[in-house]
Amino acid sequence: MLRREFMKLAVAAGLGLSASGAALAADMPAPFDKPEDVKIALVRYLSTGDFFQSYLSGVEKQAEALGVDLRVLDSRQDAALQADMVDQAIALGVDGIIIQHGLTESMKAAAQRAVDAGIKVVAFDVDVENDAVPQVEQSDYLLGKMALEQAIKDNGDSFTAGYVYVPGIAPLDRRDVAWKEVKEANPGITEAAMFGTLDNPIANSVANQARSILQANPNISVVFAPYDEFAKGVKIAVDEAGLSQDIDIYSADVSTADISAMREPDSAWAATVATNPAVVGEVSVRTLALMLAGEDPDAQVVVPPTLITQEFLNENDVKNMDDLGEKMPQFRHADVSVAEWIPLPKR
Amino acid sequence: MKSDNMNKSALDLAIRYGFIVLLCGLALFFSLYASGFASPRSAVFIFQSVAITGILALGVTCTLVVGGFDLSIGSVATSALMLSAYSMVILEQSALVAVLLCLAMGALVGLINGILIVKMRVPDLLATLGMMFLLIGLQRIPTQGNSIATGMSLPDGSVAEGTFSAAFLWLGRHRFDLFLDRLLPVPVVLFLLIALIIWLFLGYTRHGRLMYAIGSNERAAGLVGTNVQRYKIVAYMISGMLASVGGILLAARLGRGDIASGNNLLLDSVAAALIGFAVLGAARPNAFGTAAGALFVGILLQGLTMMNAPYYMQDFVKGVVLVAALVFTFYLSSRRGGRKTA
Repeated sequence: MLRREFMKLAVAAGLGLSASGAALAADMPAPFDKPEDVKIALVRYLSTGDFFQSYLSGVEKQAEALGVDLRVLDSRQDAALQADMVDQAIALGVDGIIIQHGLTESMKAAAQRAVDAGIKVVAFDVDVENDAVPQVEQSDYLLGKMALEQAIKDNGDSFTAGYVYVPGIAPLDRRDVAWKEVKEANPGITEAAMFGTLDNPIANSVANQARSILQANPNISVVFAPYDEFAKGVKIAVDEAGLSQDIDIYSADVSTADISAMREPDSAWAATVATNPAVVGEVSVRTLALMLAGEDPDAQVVVPPTLITQEFLNENDVKNMDDLGEKMPQFRHADVSVAEWIPLPKR
Repeated sequence: MKSDNMNKSALDLAIRYGFIVLLCGLALFFSLYASGFASPRSAVFIFQSVAITGILALGVTCTLVVGGFDLSIGSVATSALMLSAYSMVILEQSALVAVLLCLAMGALVGLINGILIVKMRVPDLLATLGMMFLLIGLQRIPTQGNSIATGMSLPDGSVAEGTFSAAFLWLGRHRFDLFLDRLLPVPVVLFLLIALIIWLFLGYTRHGRLMYAIGSNERAAGLVGTNVQRYKIVAYMISGMLASVGGILLAARLGRGDIASGNNLLLDSVAAALIGFAVLGAARPNAFGTAAGALFVGILLQGLTMMNAPYYMQDFVKGVVLVAALVFTFYLSSRRGGRKTA
């Protein structure tokens, strides 16, 4: 409770910043007493899609709240280019770098070069194997785990499941660990079929596969689809097969479109577990800010996920991501890497 | 001499009916080994899974016929997907307006492709490649890279109130009764209808034959008075419009404007059109072959999925089929042709 009051004060202080910038800036630790001189860079590997768009908006908003100069370098899934972009950022003379996704092999050396140049580095969802670089994560393992716990709560601990998975994609692999554990711990759960594809439009391709799977395995009652595009595809197939009463879908991630799909009458999509990508973006910038101010964040900064059930969405008449943030405060703000002096973005 | 003749006719038969036999064999194999494969519903969703790529493939076929190629179809389809969602959800227009806008967009893209290729003399692959990138970028500009769904927040702070109208969703989700209730989905009916129309148009009209003539010898066709340029532009416009039909059906099935590059749509539909070369030993682009090619890939993929084959296995099998079809077309047919002249 006290903490929440405190947060409110911090937010109020942050809002006050725009009105009386000079007075407040004095309370900020260096180098944020002159935030316009602080330059940070976001070096991206993945950028296409709602998740990455939302992450970027979080980074932008938090950077704006701090008043720092943000440069966005986007390598568009080119690992070599991403490493070059880190060097480019070093040459630009930035004070801090956020590495967003990428490959350990190509980013390890690049991150080291940045650290050697005296630049503070934060990595999001990529392990650069460097003690000086804290890792911001949305816990993919927890995403999977919490969705499955809900599935067991709703359906008991023995059911026949379909599982949507594409190996070799890091976040999906981490979610897969949770599925394997839960299967191990609950012998009553049988995996009748595993399928999945990343052919885009993903939802359409997965729907085609799911149609065949449901036809071949009429006893499936639960589908674990730990990525919202997968879940969307499965839902289309379930609707087309007229099975929406008989099958429950559990997934991870959320978007405005997902919310409306979950809230359709008789929707098979029972629950999803998600971290707000915008919040992860904000946390990334705050973690970097803490480091720039000389503080020492943990080696791993985990943004906790939230369980979102169909029931909750219906009860609270949630229509989009903004509503969700309002009705579920833990979705809009994560109390991670916060400090008195860091102004939070305006809501 | 006699055995040589026998060989020749056996080869002819193999070229002509080999693919059809393979198709039937495959269907039989999956019926025996994949539970649930042999049922009317499963037959319908095989059609459904290929309907959209099939329609795109028919468009590619038209450009292949005039000796061209259209790499932009995948992105035209996803642009139509975004455009239809944009016009209904954000501009709050009716289904009819959305469909007309998409068709107009497809035709316009085809027209520009055609003009680039015919008038500006840009090679077809390069012109349509450029168009592909242009569209992938363009479709994201209005929403700053976000997918479109009802209830999304707009840049000006308001919320998108429009919805996908029921009439529009009907296009992707309605099923006609045929023997069984709710059996035949609209996209399948459209696919079969478009295949029939393109087949008749290419094979049995003067225009279609002239298009084939342009494809086999552009100069000769021009010398006998064919308006080569106009036919080529029309071929790209057909291709663009069919691609946008595919995009409309995709949007109606998904019920939202999904960000996607459409590259997989492009590859799958080109594969279907190329496999189509081999059907009935045509050794040239043809609508019947394209439809059969799309169906072939559909049967394979659905059957493999039912047998729990992973996605990379499916890509591999798709590749094998395509290579085999190309061998059929180019090697066997050339041998047959060679013997005739000998």
